[in-house]
Amino acid sequence: MPTVELSHISKSFGTLIAVDDVSFEVEKGEIFGLLGPNGAGKTTAIRVLLDIFKPDSGSVSILGGPMTEAKKDQIGYMPEERGMYQDIPLDRCLTYLGTLKGLSPAEAQSRISSYLEKFDLESSRYKKVKELSKGMQQKAQLITTLIHEPELVIIDEPFSGLDPINTQMVKDLLREQRDKGVTILMSTHQMHQVEELCDRIVLIDHGRTVLYGSLDEIRRQFSGHAVIVSTHDELPVLPGVEHVERHNSSAYRLTLSPSTTTQEILRKLVEGGVEVEQFEIAAPTLDEIFIRVVQQDDQKLGERE
Amino acid sequence: MSKFWRIAWQEYSRHVFRKRFLLALFSVPLMLAFMAVLIIVIIWSDSNPTPIGYVDQSGLLVNAIPQASAKFPERTVRMLAYPDEASARTNLDTGKIQAYYIIPKDYLPSGKVDEYYNKEPKGIATQQFNEFLTTNLLANISPHIVNRILAGSKLNVVSADKSRQTSQDQIINLILPFIAGILFIIAMSTSSGYLLQAVVEEKENRTMEIMVTSVSPNQLMSGKTIADMAVGITQLVVWAIFIVWILIIGKSYLSFLSGVTFPAQTIFMLIAVMVPAFIMISGLMATIGATVTEASEGQQIMGLFTIPIWLPYILIAVFIQNPNSPLAVAMTLFPLTAPMTIAIRMGFTTIPAWQYIASLVLLVISAVGAVWLAGRAFRLGMLRYGQRLRWKEIFSHQRA
Repeated sequence: MPTVELSHISKSFGTLIAVDDVSFEVEKGEIFGLLGPNGAGKTTAIRVLLDIFKPDSGSVSILGGPMTEAKKDQIGYMPEERGMYQDIPLDRCLTYLGTLKGLSPAEAQSRISSYLEKFDLESSRYKKVKELSKGMQQKAQLITTLIHEPELVIIDEPFSGLDPINTQMVKDLLREQRDKGVTILMSTHQMHQVEELCDRIVLIDHGRTVLYGSLDEIRRQFSGHAVIVSTHDELPVLPGVEHVERHNSSAYRLTLSPSTTTQEILRKLVEGGVEVEQFEIAAPTLDEIFIRVVQQDDQKLGERE
Repeated sequence: MSKFWRIAWQEYSRHVFRKRFLLALFSVPLMLAFMAVLIIVIIWSDSNPTPIGYVDQSGLLVNAIPQASAKFPERTVRMLAYPDEASARTNLDTGKIQAYYIIPKDYLPSGKVDEYYNKEPKGIATQQFNEFLTTNLLANISPHIVNRILAGSKLNVVSADKSRQTSQDQIINLILPFIAGILFIIAMSTSSGYLLQAVVEEKENRTMEIMVTSVSPNQLMSGKTIADMAVGITQLVVWAIFIVWILIIGKSYLSFLSGVTFPAQTIFMLIAVMVPAFIMISGLMATIGATVTEASEGQQIMGLFTIPIWLPYILIAVFIQNPNSPLAVAMTLFPLTAPMTIAIRMGFTTIPAWQYIASLVLLVISAVGAVWLAGRAFRLGMLRYGQRLRWKEIFSHQRA
């Protein structure tokens, strides 16, 4: 049974349709990416999923059914709008938020100690939250998300405001959580992080699902029939190649005819005496897929209007 | 401990244990205590215990008995007899006495007494001499009668239907409900101000989403409301204890406080009005908190509600003159002006039962309405950062 199941969710605010018939499932123990350009409806989808907003139509199942008060203790949520009580010491803020997730104050204290050590925040423990830097507050926010050892973690833009060292630390932390069996739903538009971390993704644009599935599958789907060849030699005219373009200063992108296989092309290149430095299937990066899909979607919408 | 109590305790402790709050809490009683001490010191220093002399030519003061001693902080003035005016004058000039009186032979028929001083006697010195004279004139009459003559009659004014009465030494009881009303409303303002702040702060700190995914909106709002009401009640109780304490102490020293009573019925009637008023105002403030985006904006709107609440205080002269005027009745019925109006009118008139009950019913309805409004505004407005929730939206059919 999936940990999270959204089916045919729609939510509008006045005339604005924020989410329009979106469905996806998040399986237990995976890192799932919720992607989309700014204003696509990612945050609204998360809020509907967390029962902050009631959907206009559709249904949500989380941890095996509708949201209940008891389930809130099993969920760790880090909203895009980071929120901490600014006027109280960090220790008190973390303890308070921890106890609201069902921990006893003593339990919360001991876990805070180990997390602060791990996140290198021990020296700021009794400082007021507002005295911490943005990055430190971000880390503190992560502590409140994970302190109660949730089954499901929902993180909106986990890497914003973090330097490369802390970004790496958060990535390791997310992988560590996944390995423990925690389900992670991550919303972001930093595609390279998604490529590194996520198993499956859903891409929404203008409130609608435009891509959904495993990362590998999607890549394959968009790879087209092309290869990239790095060489310093001039390329001969090859049968079965429909189109040649420069990929960069030392590489070409070859679009193949449907009947040609990549194996044939490699053989012909070698037979033709071309010194091949690198030969790869032209799989698009997630960034490229993202841009292509979103642009197509915009175009379609434009035509319809 | 349930989440509700954790929220309530967090909210209560963060206000009550703050220096600013403790300062405000104790500054009022300390100010009152300071004023009480100041009054006592002024009266004490104003009274002059230097004896007063008299030359009795009438023979009425042979074997004179002293007048009753003055009550603290006044000081008793001793009366010294002089055989002739010359010796009295010498002592006046040396400052041994502050004044002297000559009671002439024909005092009884003429009633004339001459008073001599270099500087006019202050405080109740002259009064004490009059008392001394009267006491001695009445020396042969039973002490009960003497006391009565000296103290005079107590005029007890009773209303025609006998439902109310008052006398001069109970004047304080007229304004006690009014004072209690002011205290209630100050406590109410404190509480509801904090509540408004609490809701806006969750928005300003962007903690709202974390909160509503940890606890239910009901736990959140009821926890905060109970805590902030408890803050107001803490304030009220501390002040009330001080005021009652001062009144009880003052009762034995200050004649205008001597008749002070705390009738159970009045207290009960006041509390019955203040509880729904408290809830109504808290609900309204929470609603404002949920609709605005910044604390400063909230304070401004709060001002609009504060004006009607305090309006009866501004109109107090009108109420005293005619506590049953149509204006007074209207303001008794209008929920926002009701608490203060009732507190004022209670002292000066008997509020007809129908008015009191109608006002109470309206207050309860308003309280329920305000809580409903707050709940709805909260659900619709909780995630509006930087964007105000319009009142129109609260009443629209939007799904919260």
